[in-house]
Amino acid sequence: MVEENIQQHKKTDELSKNLDKKADAMKALRKSCKNRIDRVAEIVREQKRALKAIRAQLANSPSTIPEIAASTDMPTDIVLWYVAAMKKYGQIAEKEKDDGYYRYSLQGESHVID
Amino acid sequence: MKDKKEDQKHKENQEYREDKKVGVYICYCGGNISDHVDVERVREYVENLPEVAVARTNMFMCSDPGQQLIMDDLKNGTVERVVVASCAPSLHETTFRSAISRAGINPYIYEHANIREQVSWVHHGDQATEKAIKLISMASAKAEQLSPLEPIRVNAKKHATVIGGGVAGLRAAKDMADCGIEVALIEKSQFLGGNLAPLDKIAPTGESAKELLSTLALQVLCHPSITIYAGSVVDSFEGYVGNFTLGVKQVEPLPSKAADSDITAEADISDIQKTNETDKYKKGDYIPFSGVFAVDDADFSNRSDSQNLSVSSNWKSHVIETGVIVIATGFKSYTPNIGEYGYKKIKEVITLPELIKSMADSLNSGRLSSQDSFTMQKGSACSGKVRGLEKFLEIDGRKIRSMAMIHCVGSRQTPGIHQENDSGQLNEYCSRTCCTATLNAANIIRERYPSTRIYDFFRDIRTYGRGQEEIYEKASHNQVIFFRFEADEPPEIIESRESQSGKNFESNSQLNNFPICVKAKDVLTFGEEIEAPVDLVVLATGIEPNDVSDLVQKMKLPVGADRFLLEVHPKLRPVELPVSGIFLAGTCQAPMDIGESCNAAGAAAVKAAAMLAKGYVELDPFVAQINLELCNGCGACVESCLSDGALRIVDIKADGELIKRAEVTPPLCLGCGACVGVCSENAIDIAGWTLRQYEAMVDRIVAENILAVIN
Amino acid sequence: MKSIQTTTFDVMVIGGGIAGLQTALDIACQDYSVAVVEKGASIGGKMIRLSKVFPTLDCASCITTPKMAAAAHNDNITLFTCCDVKSIKRERTLSTQNISNSISPQNNNTQRNRFVLKAVVTQRARYVDADKCIGCRKCEYECPVLVSDVEQGGFSARKAISIPFSNAIPQIAVLDADNCMLCGKCEKICPTHAINYFQESYDFVIQANSIVLATGYEMTSLSDKPQYGMGKIPNVIDALQMERLLAPHGPYNRVLRPSDGKEPDSIAYIQCAGSRDRSMGVPYCSRFCCMYAIKQAMLLSGSLPLAEIRIYYMDIRAFGKGYEQFYQNAKAMGIEFVKAKVARVDAGEDGSVTLQYEDQNGYGMVTMNHDLVVASMGVISAWSPKGICNVSQGLDNFIHTINSKLSPTLTDMEGVFVAGAAAGPKDIVDTITEAGSAAIEVSKYLRYLYGKERGLKPVSTISSLKAVA
Ligand SMILES: Cc1cc2nc3c(=O)[nH]c(=O)nc-3n(C[C@H](O)[C@H](O)[C@H](O)COP(=O)(O)OP(=O)(O)OC[C@H]3O[C@@H](n4cnc5c(N)ncnc54)[C@H](O)[C@@H]3O)c2cc1C
Ligand code: SF4
Ligand code: SF4
Ligand code: SF4
Ligand code: SF4
Repeated sequence: MVEENIQQHKKTDELSKNLDKKADAMKALRKSCKNRIDRVAEIVREQKRALKAIRAQLANSPSTIPEIAASTDMPTDIVLWYVAAMKKYGQIAEKEKDDGYYRYSLQGESHVID
Repeated sequence: MKDKKEDQKHKENQEYREDKKVGVYICYCGGNISDHVDVERVREYVENLPEVAVARTNMFMCSDPGQQLIMDDLKNGTVERVVVASCAPSLHETTFRSAISRAGINPYIYEHANIREQVSWVHHGDQATEKAIKLISMASAKAEQLSPLEPIRVNAKKHATVIGGGVAGLRAAKDMADCGIEVALIEKSQFLGGNLAPLDKIAPTGESAKELLSTLALQVLCHPSITIYAGSVVDSFEGYVGNFTLGVKQVEPLPSKAADSDITAEADISDIQKTNETDKYKKGDYIPFSGVFAVDDADFSNRSDSQNLSVSSNWKSHVIETGVIVIATGFKSYTPNIGEYGYKKIKEVITLPELIKSMADSLNSGRLSSQDSFTMQKGSACSGKVRGLEKFLEIDGRKIRSMAMIHCVGSRQTPGIHQENDSGQLNEYCSRTCCTATLNAANIIRERYPSTRIYDFFRDIRTYGRGQEEIYEKASHNQVIFFRFEADEPPEIIESRESQSGKNFESNSQLNNFPICVKAKDVLTFGEEIEAPVDLVVLATGIEPNDVSDLVQKMKLPVGADRFLLEVHPKLRPVELPVSGIFLAGTCQAPMDIGESCNAAGAAAVKAAAMLAKGYVELDPFVAQINLELCNGCGACVESCLSDGALRIVDIKADGELIKRAEVTPPLCLGCGACVGVCSENAIDIAGWTLRQYEAMVDRIVAENILAVIN
Repeated sequence: MKSIQTTTFDVMVIGGGIAGLQTALDIACQDYSVAVVEKGASIGGKMIRLSKVFPTLDCASCITTPKMAAAAHNDNITLFTCCDVKSIKRERTLSTQNISNSISPQNNNTQRNRFVLKAVVTQRARYVDADKCIGCRKCEYECPVLVSDVEQGGFSARKAISIPFSNAIPQIAVLDADNCMLCGKCEKICPTHAINYFQESYDFVIQANSIVLATGYEMTSLSDKPQYGMGKIPNVIDALQMERLLAPHGPYNRVLRPSDGKEPDSIAYIQCAGSRDRSMGVPYCSRFCCMYAIKQAMLLSGSLPLAEIRIYYMDIRAFGKGYEQFYQNAKAMGIEFVKAKVARVDAGEDGSVTLQYEDQNGYGMVTMNHDLVVASMGVISAWSPKGICNVSQGLDNFIHTINSKLSPTLTDMEGVFVAGAAAGPKDIVDTITEAGSAAIEVSKYLRYLYGKERGLKPVSTISSLKAVA
C-alpha cells in the first residue's frame, strides 16, 4: 500500500526465504496461540457437524428453515445463519416459497464451505 | 470455478481476430439489474456479435474490480472500444470514461447502455432480458463506429460572480476571494445581509444576528479582491463556462427598506428625498433590520479603515467578464393570503417575522435606556410591563396575556386541503427553520415576560438540528402549552371581541374578554376540542424562493416543482446546475438555516475554486462539426440553432475565392442536433453521435431477432 | 522507537466515509496532497453499507462507489486503511526557507506560525501483504472457519480471512486473528504469497498542515436498552440491520425474519428509540431516522406488497429538500403512521414481537403484534478526541464547533476542521455539502499558511482562524 509498508515487510520476506527458519517460527507461533487455536478448532468442528446435517437434510429434499431445524435438531435462527452463509458461498439455492417460508436446495458441489 | 472460466476466456482472447474490438461489460448492479435481467444470458448473446471481442459481467461494474476489468482489457489490447451496460449514464458515464483514461486510452471510445432505469426497473422476465440485449447490441454497433475525440478546452477567467448578498452570498464571495479569485458581488438592495438582517437572537446559539452579519459583511466590504455592485441586478447574460459576460444594471435607488418606519409611512415622499435618506448612512454601517449599508459614500473616505473599500457607486451599467457564477438569491418569507388564519383581517394576527421585529425593536430600545428594565419605552412598538410581579409582553401598547403560535403556515400544504396561490401552486415542502425559530421566540417571551402564556399549535415539531431539541425541551420546561393538529383540521381563529372600539384590555381582567379564541382539535389528548383565548396569534410563516424568473430565463436554470432552483443531483452534485460553471448557494435551492446556508456557500465556493484552479475548463466534445466540402453556406442550420451564437455563417477563402460556410463555436453548441436535421447537404454531424453511428444502431435493431434467441 | 517513518501531506482527513471522501476529493482538486486515514478495512463508511438512500431512492452503492473509486484513483489522495490515530500534536518545525530579508512584524509572525500537525498513526496488522494481495478471494474460499459477518448485520457468515465486502476499496483480504486457527490453508493457496502470519502492527507519523475530522457516527446498541429487550427478543433488530436485509446483496437477498426465515407480514418501526430521551442517554434528535424509516418502509412495501407496515413516532421530521413530499408519498402508499411512544417491547408467540403503546383514540394502553420490529436507535459520536488531541466535544459528545453559523466546520484547535456526522447527526445531502464547506476552509487556511511562507500576497482577513466573538 505504501512504501513504509514494504520496508516493514522486508523482515518477514527474508523469513520466508529461509524455509527451515520459517517452519520453526510457525511452530513457535502456533504454540503461543494454542488456546485460541483450540477454541477455534472446537468451533469449526461444531460448524462442520452442523453444515453436514443441513446438507444431509437438503440432499433429501428441498426444505424450509423450520423443516431443517426440526430434522437437525438445531434452533431456527442458527439454521438460517448457516443457510445464509452457504448461499453466499454458492452451496445452496433458494427455491419456491411455501406458506411464508422459502425452500432451499443444494446446488452442485462446492468446496467453499466443508 | 469462475476462475477456470476466466482462464479459458483469456486463452480465447489471445487469438482474437482483428475485426473484433468491442468489449462489453454488463453490470448486475448487486441484483438491481440481475433480479430481472438474465445477465449471463445477455452476455452469451452479446459475446457472439460480430464486432464483440469479449463480454464480461460483474456484480458492480462501477466498483474498483469492475473498472479494473475494463482497464486490463484495454491495456493488453483485447478491446479497443468499450460498452458498459449498467445504470443511467448520468450516474456513471464519467466513472467509466475516467477508467478508460487511466488505462491510457482516449475516453471517447466509450458507449453506455442503460439497462437499469430503462430495463430492469420497468420490465420483468424475458421481456427485460430481450430489451437489455437490444440496447446493448445497439450500443455495441455504435461503439464499433466510434473514433477518439478531444475534449474542448476553453480558457477560464479567474473571476467569479456572486448574485445575492445574503449570508450565503457573502460567505461564497469571501471564500472564493480568499482562494485568490477576483469576485464581483451583485446585490439587488443597497444592503448586505438579506434575511439575516431582520433577525435578532439566532437559534440555537443565541448569537446576535447583528454581530454575525457585521463581521462577515465588513470582511467582504474590505476585501481587496471583492467588488460590490449594490442596488444592482443582472440584466444580460451570455457566454459559457470560464467566459461568461454579465450586464449589471443599477436599479433605481430605493429607500432603505423600512429602516425608519416614520419615513416609509409617508407615501408622498419623492425619489430624491429617498436617496437623500440613504445618503445619511455610511458604507459599512449596520442599519437595524436592513443590513450593512453597501453603497459608497463620500464621507466614507474620511474613515480610517477606508483604504480597502471598493464599491462602485455609479448609477450606471457595468459589464462583468467572469469565469463562474454563484447564485445566492435567497428566500422571502411566506405572506399569508388575506384572511388565512384571519391575517390582515384581524389585527391581532401577525407573522413570526413581524413578531421578531417588534420584539427586537423593544428590546433594543430597552437596552439603550437601562440594562434590564421592562418599562415602556416611548416610541417603541412593543415592550414589557412590570406590574407587581407580573411581566407581560406588549405589542402596540397592548398587553398580551396569552398568545397562540401556529406552525406550518404556508408550508406542508396538502392538495385538497390548502388553497393554491395565484399561480396555482402549493408549498408542499417543509420550511425547515420555522419550528426552531418559533420555539426560540416562545422561549424568549416566556423567559422575559413570564406572565404571558403561550399556546403552540403544531403538526410535528421539527427541531432536528444540533442544539435545537434543547430549545423544544426548554419550551416545555417554560410551560409553553402544546396542541397538535392534523393538516385537515387546522386551528380556527374566532374573533370574540365585543366591539372594535379600541377597548382597553389592560383594565379588563376577565378571561372572556380576549379578542380572539383559537379553536382546535388536539390530537395529543385524543381529539379533544380545545379553545384558547388569546390576545395575539403568531403565524409561523415558511420560506419561499425569491422570484428569480429573469435569471432562470436568461441563464436557462432548472426550477423544481417546489419553485426552488434544482441541483443536478442532491448527493452527487449538490451545488451544481446542469449549466456548467453556475453554482447554487443557500436558500435559493431549498429552505436552510444560517449554518446550512454557509455550508452550501462553502461547497459552491470549493467547486468554483477547483474549476478555476487550472486556468482552463474541459468540455465534452459532443458538438456539431461542419464538413466544409459539403456545406453550401445556405444558413438553414443557423436558423434552426437553439443556442444563440453557436452557429454562424462566415466568409472563408477557398481557391482564392471568398465563399460562405457555416462555423461552430464549440463551447456554446448544445450538441442537440437541430442543425443536423435541417442541413440539405448532410454536411453537419454531432461528434460522438454521427449519422453513421445512428445508422449502425438502427440497422442493429431491425436486423436482430432477439426473441428467437431467447426462446 | 528510533526510526519511525514520517510521511508528509498538505492535509490529513480522518475517516473515509462519505464526509471524508468528499472533503478529500474537493481538497485534492485544488492540487493539495491528502492522506485519508480510515479505521476499517475499506473506505465508504456507513453509506456504502446502506441499501437505497432517501429522498431519491438511488442505490447507495451507485452513489458511493464512484466517490470511493475517484478517491482511490486520485493522484493527490493516499488511502490508509486499518489505521488508528493515536495522537495529534501541533509542533513547531524549523523553517527551511530563508526569510532574512526584512525584519517586519509580518515576518515575526511567519516564524511564530510555522507549526505543523503531527499525527502518530498505528497501522494494524492485516496479516496480508497489501502490496501483494490481488483480491482474488481464494484464501477466503479456502478458509474453514465461519465467523458472524457484522457487515451483514450478523445475519450471515464470512471466513476468518476475507475481503470485507464485494465493493470494498481496497480489495485486500484481512485475516481476523481472533478467529484464525493457523491451519495454513490460506497461505498455501494464495497465488501471490501475500499471507503473512507474522505481520505486526506498527506506528508511523503523518505530518500535515491541516486536519479534517470526518469520523462520523455510531448507533446506540439494542443490548443496553431494557425497554427494548436488551437485544434478546428475537426479531427486534436495529435500522442498520434492516438496511442489510434490504440491500441488493444482503444476507438473505430478501427480507426475512431472522429468527426463522419467515417472510414477515407485519413490520413495525419504533422511532426515537433511544433518542430525544435523557433516560436513554441521547437527549437530542438523531435527525435522519425519521427519513430512513420512511424510506425503508417504502422499500419494504415494494418488496413485500402484502405486508402491513407501521411507524410509531413522536414527530415526523421530514425537513430536507423534497422530504415532506417523500413522507406524504409514503402515507399515500398505505404506510401507517401512528403517533405514539412505544412503552414496552416483549417477545410474543411464534417469533412475533408484542408492542405496548398508548393509543391516541383514547383506548388507553394498546397491545400489537408484529412479525418484525425495527428500532430506530440513537446516533452517537463515533470518536472522541480525548487523549488524542486538544479538540473539544460538545455536551452531546460530537465535535464542538466554534462558529456554527458562519463557519460551521471550525474546531477549537488551529488547523483542525470537522465535516459530516462527526459534528452531529446529519443526512447524506447535508454531509456532502458540509464536506465541501470544510474543504474550502482548508484551502483558505493552506493558502494563508503557504502564502505567508512564500511571500504571496496575503488575503485580507482570515476569519476561519479565529472564532468571531
Ligand atoms: C422567521 C425566521 C426565523 C429564522 N430564524 C433562524 C434562526 O434562528 N436560526 C437560523 O439558523 N436560521 C434562521 N432562519 C433562516 C435564515 O434566515 C436563513 O437560513 C438565511 O438567512 C439564508 O441565507 P441566504 O443568504 O441563503 O438567503 P437570503 O438571506 O435571503 O439572501 C439572499 C440575498 O440575495 C438578494 N437577491 C435576491 N435576488 C437577487 C437578484 N436577482 N439579484 C441580486 N440580488 C438578489 C436578496 O436581496 C438578499 O440580500 C430564520 C428564517 C426566518 C424566516
Ligand atoms: S419547520 Fe416546523 S413549522 Fe416549519 S414547515 Fe416544517 S414542520 Fe412546519
Ligand atoms: S491474500 Fe492471496 S488469496 Fe487472499 S485475496 Fe489476496 S491474493 Fe487472493
Ligand atoms: S490460517 Fe486462519 S485464516 Fe487462513 S485458512 Fe486457516 S483458519 Fe483461515
Ligand atoms: S429523526 Fe425522527 S426518529 Fe430520529 S430522533 Fe429525530 S424525531 Fe426521533
